[in-house]
Amino acid sequence: MTLEEEPDDRDGQAAEYVLGTLDAEERRRAQALIASDSHFADRVRAWERRLGELSAMIVSVEPPPQIWERIKAALVASPPSAEPGQVAPVRPAGERTEIAALRRRMRRWRRATAAVTAIAAAFAGIVVVRELAPEMLPAQLRPNVRVQVVEVTKTVEVPVPSPRPAQYVAVLQRDAASPAFLLTFDLDNRVMTVRTVGAEQQRGKSYELWIIATKDPTPRSLGVIGTEEFSIRRQLARYDAATINSATYAVSIEPVGGSPTGLPTGPVVYTGKLIQTTPPGFGSQSP
Amino acid sequence: MLTPDELVGLLAAVAKGDQGAFERLYAATRAKLYGLVLRILRRTDLADEVMQDVYLKIWRSAGEFDPHLATPITWMVAIARNRALDLVRKKSETSIEDEPAALEAQSEAANPLERHETTEQLRRLLVCLDALETERRELVLLAYFGGFSREQLAAKFAAPVNTVKTWLRRSLARVRECLGS
Repeated sequence: MTLEEEPDDRDGQAAEYVLGTLDAEERRRAQALIASDSHFADRVRAWERRLGELSAMIVSVEPPPQIWERIKAALVASPPSAEPGQVAPVRPAGERTEIAALRRRMRRWRRATAAVTAIAAAFAGIVVVRELAPEMLPAQLRPNVRVQVVEVTKTVEVPVPSPRPAQYVAVLQRDAASPAFLLTFDLDNRVMTVRTVGAEQQRGKSYELWIIATKDPTPRSLGVIGTEEFSIRRQLARYDAATINSATYAVSIEPVGGSPTGLPTGPVVYTGKLIQTTPPGFGSQSP
Repeated sequence: MLTPDELVGLLAAVAKGDQGAFERLYAATRAKLYGLVLRILRRTDLADEVMQDVYLKIWRSAGEFDPHLATPITWMVAIARNRALDLVRKKSETSIEDEPAALEAQSEAANPLERHETTEQLRRLLVCLDALETERRELVLLAYFGGFSREQLAAKFAAPVNTVKTWLRRSLARVRECLGS
């Protein structure tokens, strides 16, 4: 592959960009061209229109209803005139970094870890259960039944991926309106995945994820949470499944790169516990 | 699905900040875009994430939609495919575990002209795709619907990556000539 596209095949480059066969680096280059070269941008638009007709052949799949809820929540903070990339502001709880506060917090955590986070964890629990196991909730709290509608009028076979095999989920958040981090724990593979859902990246700060085991209430770092989804495997190797399932998970605000001391130094802004999510029927959404 | 004109009207209202119009737009297009991104990403968690990004982008950039340059659906589909492809290409840089083994049996390889529900533009495109050799047509359709990279196509068709690139570019150039645009 050549480093620079031959100038006479700019249209081929635009076509492949739209088709999707460029690799990540080539996509970045094409996107830079779109932004800087209106002629190239026109070529891309023309290909989007040409190939976009194929979308009529895509088999529709009904998305889960909570996607709209999340979009709606984000709209409030992002009017159409807003700068691209703006997200709902999520303010951390008060910035208290004094030593005294830290000591108090550490004492509290050591004394009764679960109690510190009981309210937040219960809240997170309701949210997760609403999403994944509505039959566990009282009738008045149940969301509408999740229906997977798959059009069967077309002959295209769409391989709907089976839902991820996550048996456990925790939502780390302060209240139902401010989702922040989503942890999923795959028991079979002993891997935890962390996704940032709505937490704003703090300038000059990092979010750090901690595990607080019920047996050993000293917070242990599971790593610094970046903007991308990441997986934790190595740090979990020292814990058995029961410990992982019963532990409390917390996110604190730390200097860039994480706590310099190995213990939380900044305010704890989000907490939660894992909840088992293997409701009956969750895996049977194939057409 | 609403008519293209109705969608144009909704996008114009969305550009002015009409949340009701945005909700109707979402209701009319969500299943199409979800089917599209799910097919490329093959994971519901990633598809869910991309759907949020895509609709927030539609909400913010509805004012940039120009009915002379695109139809509402091709415009929204381009946003959704771009976001999904950016993610899937970035992921494959660090992991090769997402080999599309489950997608081996691709029914798009069958004659696309057997489909129905065609607009005049789609009909013309399908005629042009049908004029390609079977394998080349399959290559283009796997890339479009399944989000296959050149490497994945090379593996599937047992051909060098550079050959796949040549095939893709020639096929696309022929499609463009055939469409006469």
